[in-house]
Amino acid sequence: MIKEFFRKRSIHVCVVNTGGCNGCDIEILTLIASRYDIEQYGIYIHNNPREADLLIVTGPVTLPWKDRLKELYEKTPEPKVVIAVGACALSCGIFKEGHVCGPVDRIIPVDGVIPGCPPRPAQIIETILKVVPTSIAERERVVKEEISQ
Amino acid sequence: MNVIPIGPINPIFKEPIRIKLIVEGEVVLGAEIEMGYVHRGIERIMEGKHYLKGVHLAERVCGICSYIHTQTFVECIEKISDIEVPDKARYLRVIVTELERLQSHLLAVSMYGMAIEHETLGIWCLNIRERVMDLLETITGNRINMGYNVVGGVRQDINREMLESIYSTLDSLEEDVKDIMEIFKKGPLISLRSKGIGVIGYREIMKTRAVGPVARASALPESDWRLRHPTYKELDFKPVWTEEGDNYARSLVRLKEIFTSIELLRRALELYEESGGMVRKKVDIKGGAGEWRNEAHRGEVTYKISITDGGIIKRILIRSPTVMNLSAYKYMLKTCPTVSDAVATYVSIDPCVSCTERSIVLLDRRTGEVKPYFK
Repeated sequence: MIKEFFRKRSIHVCVVNTGGCNGCDIEILTLIASRYDIEQYGIYIHNNPREADLLIVTGPVTLPWKDRLKELYEKTPEPKVVIAVGACALSCGIFKEGHVCGPVDRIIPVDGVIPGCPPRPAQIIETILKVVPTSIAERERVVKEEISQ
Repeated sequence: MNVIPIGPINPIFKEPIRIKLIVEGEVVLGAEIEMGYVHRGIERIMEGKHYLKGVHLAERVCGICSYIHTQTFVECIEKISDIEVPDKARYLRVIVTELERLQSHLLAVSMYGMAIEHETLGIWCLNIRERVMDLLETITGNRINMGYNVVGGVRQDINREMLESIYSTLDSLEEDVKDIMEIFKKGPLISLRSKGIGVIGYREIMKTRAVGPVARASALPESDWRLRHPTYKELDFKPVWTEEGDNYARSLVRLKEIFTSIELLRRALELYEESGGMVRKKVDIKGGAGEWRNEAHRGEVTYKISITDGGIIKRILIRSPTVMNLSAYKYMLKTCPTVSDAVATYVSIDPCVSCTERSIVLLDRRTGEVKPYFK
């Protein structure tokens, strides 16, 4: 009970750039500036997949990332949530004809998406706060049922 | 001898790259750099497309220096088909380029501050950067990937209110960057962590052809391509340079370049107010091939384009600055005593991986065979 309560208010984030143009990454990086101040919502960006609750994936999945992204997803402990940021992560966007494997949801399950090229920092915070607490609770329930069976 | 693999996901990296540091104890002996994580084949997509689509693709080569890529692309096509751009558009291009240079250099200094564990400096620089981003948003309509350039001019003019907001923000910005400059010069932690670390001399610079702030910190002011740009010649531009060639000098060059950029901006704004007319004109594209270079925020960026009469791109070649700077990084490692210094040195060259990865080959580890990649 207590664990569930605090899980919603302490989200550890790992940002994975799977071959984007870097624009979305920069917008996520600006979230730590005092204007947006993401840490006041209890969200902490530290880029360590082994401790993360939330994977933020940006960019179309390129050839070397296809297996690595699966590995990274398996490394992350349960319960975990994935959010795809930017037009490239949703549909490969402008790089559809290039050397890419496909959008992120073809490789790993995705819980939330943020369209835009790149989305504004305020949108990213809003989506994280809307999607992650409910999805983590849902995910935890599913994992518990699987263990009890 | 041990090998420490860093990346592709690491707290200090903005982008995926894998560096294998070869260490003995904590003394760094060398490094192996593995790339290929961000290759998307942009040149391949551009082939056979109209040049108007090419501008948008060139913008997405890199997110931090997106504007300068479109400018180089557009100016290359203008050179091929002998198009003269209106005066107003030329000065507006300088204004947006220099504003983007401000935000890129502030981000670079902020990341270096984070890398040497001086988080206060990092957050301060990020806060100042936000105001520059606001200016870019008022002028162009977007923070990153602005879509401002077209062949024959720029998309939109600026009005009186925007001009005044640019002038007032530049004044406040100059004072704030002066404060940061003093902290940078007097702070004991910064000089302890960065003076005499990652030194690169003139001979190694010539061997690796390093460009941008890396070359200018090692006494090579003529490496600045703004000296050869026709618009900058009117603005009476002088490059910044130092002699030491260490991490401290590289970050100091970036901070000093912020002041040169602010001066250039003021001069360009004055010239913009004097000039009149349209910001864009009709063009017809002639076929041919050509080359254009510009000074991006990390060094020179080259575009070689061959194009048909209607404006279909036949072949394009992009060379970005970080390719050369990453090979200079291997020589800097000789003066890095610890692993954390090696990481700080990597951040101090301000690498941009998504600019760098322009080609891909497949290496078979068992046979040692190298093949080109086709989808």
